[in-house]
Amino acid sequence: MDLSTILGIVSGFGFVLYAIAGGGAFSDFLDVPSMMIVFGGTIGSVLISFPMNDMKKIVKLFKIGFFDKKIDAKKTIKKIIDLSYTSKRKGLLSLESEIEDYNNAFLKKGVLLIVDGTDPEMVREILEMEVVNLEKRHEKGQNIIGAFGKYAPAFGMVGTLIGLIKMLTNLNDSDTLGPSMAIALVTTFYGALLANVLFNPLANKLKLKSELEIMEMDMLIEGILSIQSGESPYIIEEKLNSFLNSSNRDKKDENEDEEEAEIREGVQEV
Amino acid sequence: MIRVTRLNGQEVIINSEIIEFVEDTPHTVITMRSGNKIITRETADEIIDKVVEYRQRIFNDASMLKRKRG
Repeated sequence: MDLSTILGIVSGFGFVLYAIAGGGAFSDFLDVPSMMIVFGGTIGSVLISFPMNDMKKIVKLFKIGFFDKKIDAKKTIKKIIDLSYTSKRKGLLSLESEIEDYNNAFLKKGVLLIVDGTDPEMVREILEMEVVNLEKRHEKGQNIIGAFGKYAPAFGMVGTLIGLIKMLTNLNDSDTLGPSMAIALVTTFYGALLANVLFNPLANKLKLKSELEIMEMDMLIEGILSIQSGESPYIIEEKLNSFLNSSNRDKKDENEDEEEAEIREGVQEV
Repeated sequence: MIRVTRLNGQEVIINSEIIEFVEDTPHTVITMRSGNKIITRETADEIIDKVVEYRQRIFNDASMLKRKRG
């Protein structure tokens, strides 16, 4: 559960509803035709903007916004360092069996590439291409939610126009003047609320989550190439720690130092 | 120019003149002056042997040519 998304939506809608309930009646703010204009119009425009294949992603996009996908950078770094120790002890080719049970497809791909003996430049190229394309796909998802955020207030405006037209054609009937104006503004209210409490912030959250995922992949690329170059695990750890802020970095504890000393002696014997 | 074998078995000829260093990590990593790295099955010592062999061959061929021209 992504707490901040849920908290944000609850407080955003919550405060607004509370403020409404304080002054007047909820019924003043409930207008089914207005809802139809805003929902129907927005969905319609988004459907026009994107191919059907992309629309299937919408549920998944909302899920990503509301649920946390655990990206534990420290665990990833530890995995890479473990792989580099294994590579030093048993050789590069032993990594192929090491990663069989791994569920990180990107890491698996990278390790298989270096075990195959692929040129380091080519490994970097292949892995970076994958990151770039993932970023593009993520961007498309963010654009869909952003489109919702763009069209909702626009259709709020359309609703306002409809309401005003209705009002002006009935100008002589002073009784309906006020209520018609109110209904005209309700659609703008729906549009603006949806766009600013739900859609636009959600698009922003998707962008940040995408950046986090890409950072992990960049880290994996550097780690994999360092393993291929035969760099020492200590150096690799220092390199990868630069991706984290200082409070997250692993402070060296005694056990790690002992393990490292053992490896160094083992390697020197060879 | 020496012939080396990549990890996947592919053979490639590299310019031994621009090798900067060779490390046993334990897989052999040859770093060229350009920063390009290549991983080979041969050990560092085998690489040294190949380079020496290559150089000796050039030297011998050259000196043979000299003798021919006499």
